[in-house]
Amino acid sequence: MTTGNLRNLYQQVILERYKKPRHRGKTDPVDCQQRGHNPSCGDTVELTIAWDETGEGIRDIRFEGEGCAIALASTDLMAEALRGRDKTAALALVNQFQAMLRGEGELPLEFRKLNVMQGVSQFPVRIKCAALPWHTLKAALTNPSQPVTTEAP
Amino acid sequence: MATQTEGMENLYRTTTPTALVDPELDLAARVRPDFPLLDQTVNGHPLVYLDNAATSQKPQVVLEALAQYYRSDNANVHRGVHTLSSRATDAYELAREKIARFVKARSSQEIIYTRNATEAINLVAYSWGLSTLGPGDEIILSVMEHHSNLIPWQLVAQKTGAVLRFVGLTPAETLDLDHYRSLLSPKTRLVSLVQVSNTLGCINPVQEVVRLAHAQGARVLVDACQGVPHMAIDVQALDCDWLVASGHKMCGPTGIGFLYGKLDLLRSMPPFLGGGEMIADVFLDHATYADLPYRFEAGTPAIGEAVALGAAVDYLQALGMDQIHTYEVELTAYLLASLAKIPQLRLYGPPERAALAAFSFGTIHPHDLSTILDQAGVAIRAGHHCTQPLHRHLRVQSTARASLYFYNTRADIDALIGALEAAGEFFGV
Repeated sequence: MTTGNLRNLYQQVILERYKKPRHRGKTDPVDCQQRGHNPSCGDTVELTIAWDETGEGIRDIRFEGEGCAIALASTDLMAEALRGRDKTAALALVNQFQAMLRGEGELPLEFRKLNVMQGVSQFPVRIKCAALPWHTLKAALTNPSQPVTTEAP
Repeated sequence: MATQTEGMENLYRTTTPTALVDPELDLAARVRPDFPLLDQTVNGHPLVYLDNAATSQKPQVVLEALAQYYRSDNANVHRGVHTLSSRATDAYELAREKIARFVKARSSQEIIYTRNATEAINLVAYSWGLSTLGPGDEIILSVMEHHSNLIPWQLVAQKTGAVLRFVGLTPAETLDLDHYRSLLSPKTRLVSLVQVSNTLGCINPVQEVVRLAHAQGARVLVDACQGVPHMAIDVQALDCDWLVASGHKMCGPTGIGFLYGKLDLLRSMPPFLGGGEMIADVFLDHATYADLPYRFEAGTPAIGEAVALGAAVDYLQALGMDQIHTYEVELTAYLLASLAKIPQLRLYGPPERAALAAFSFGTIHPHDLSTILDQAGVAIRAGHHCTQPLHRHLRVQSTARASLYFYNTRADIDALIGALEAAGEFFGV
């Protein structure tokens, strides 16, 4: 087995977050709710968001659902990175993260925890897994209530 | 004399110390060189291809038949008068006869070429279903159907007002025949059932299902995608009304499959797709249609693929479907015994099964498992295998599946087990 490659994909943080996610659950209140779905494997992510008093900032973000280690670790790390950020920053991060999955560089210092997902870019068939929560977030922020999938319509 | 025989027996024993399989029957050793694709490394390891329920690999003779057709015989069928057209037509029709004999149809007119089994089911759904079914008519399916034998009937039910009924599973995860009997009634117009489940591996008692359905005056369609490649099929003995299969799962190319239907029934069905080839006489405002099988083959068909499927049928028949089945039964027993050594592994389906095994492995998601196995050169399927309702029924979101064919070996299974154990260690299950 090419363990090096696998260790690069499944970094310890990813395995830990998969087994013991820190941001599972539902926000209170649920100001925004968005379901994301990967039809090829059936994985689902259900994001809930609670806005701060300005209505522009993310006070809390949590998730429920079922998925692989890549998808769920990506979701958990995303939730952590977004808490306390405003919508504009969140959308910018979506683009930065997707660029990283395409192998176009890494994230800046303040989001460096997300760089553990960089190894996914070497596994093209798994990019969808890592991207699922980010697609879902983008839909939640731009076009809420439409269920999203990882497949183009 | 006696001592000589004894000596020979001993010799025989000593030369086959580990083989539970009679070497004469060890198909894989014989056929392996026929499959050039299998001879490669993936991620630095010899390829172990265990995704045969999704698609099979192709023997050299099939690749050659495809190339030969395009190299020397390519022309459109049933149209031209020239030599090439006649050669192409002959090859195309000869392949149809081979398929007819392979499934023991009464006539090659009962074999309709389709793109795949999905298209064959849609053909029956749109032609027979839409023209025959009405409000309150009942269609019996099972919870283990592939989406291809579910969605077409959902569409038909939505358009006609027909009602779908679903046969459940026994605790052993096989088709619940008692439940099936209880669903049958004079309202039942169609039973459409998978012969071998692509997820549970169970082999359904199709003959009995057909007999019971016919007693109620209902028609039966058999989805034999996972049966035809692995065991001898006799449509007359099954007495089914239709049977569908895909060429690519039985050593043939993609883009070609077939529908078997009883002659009178096919004749009574209105056309599915309209166009060239399926006509007798065409006027601006109406047309009459060709006889079987052409009535259901509108447009230029997949000629080269049909010819190559004929070569695949020849290849399978030369090996012998009973020999293939016997070999796969032995290999499956070895697969199940090997999987049973991994305690965290939950297998779906009964012990009596076709050559495939879908399973969950502790908390490891099937996609992660498949990625890890792929790094060891082992190709398995991960996901819902186009049986999402069955997965819901089993209360599991997705599963991993290893599926065998006659070119697989015990060494392939050992490689699978080794990779599974390594994955278990990696994920700490």
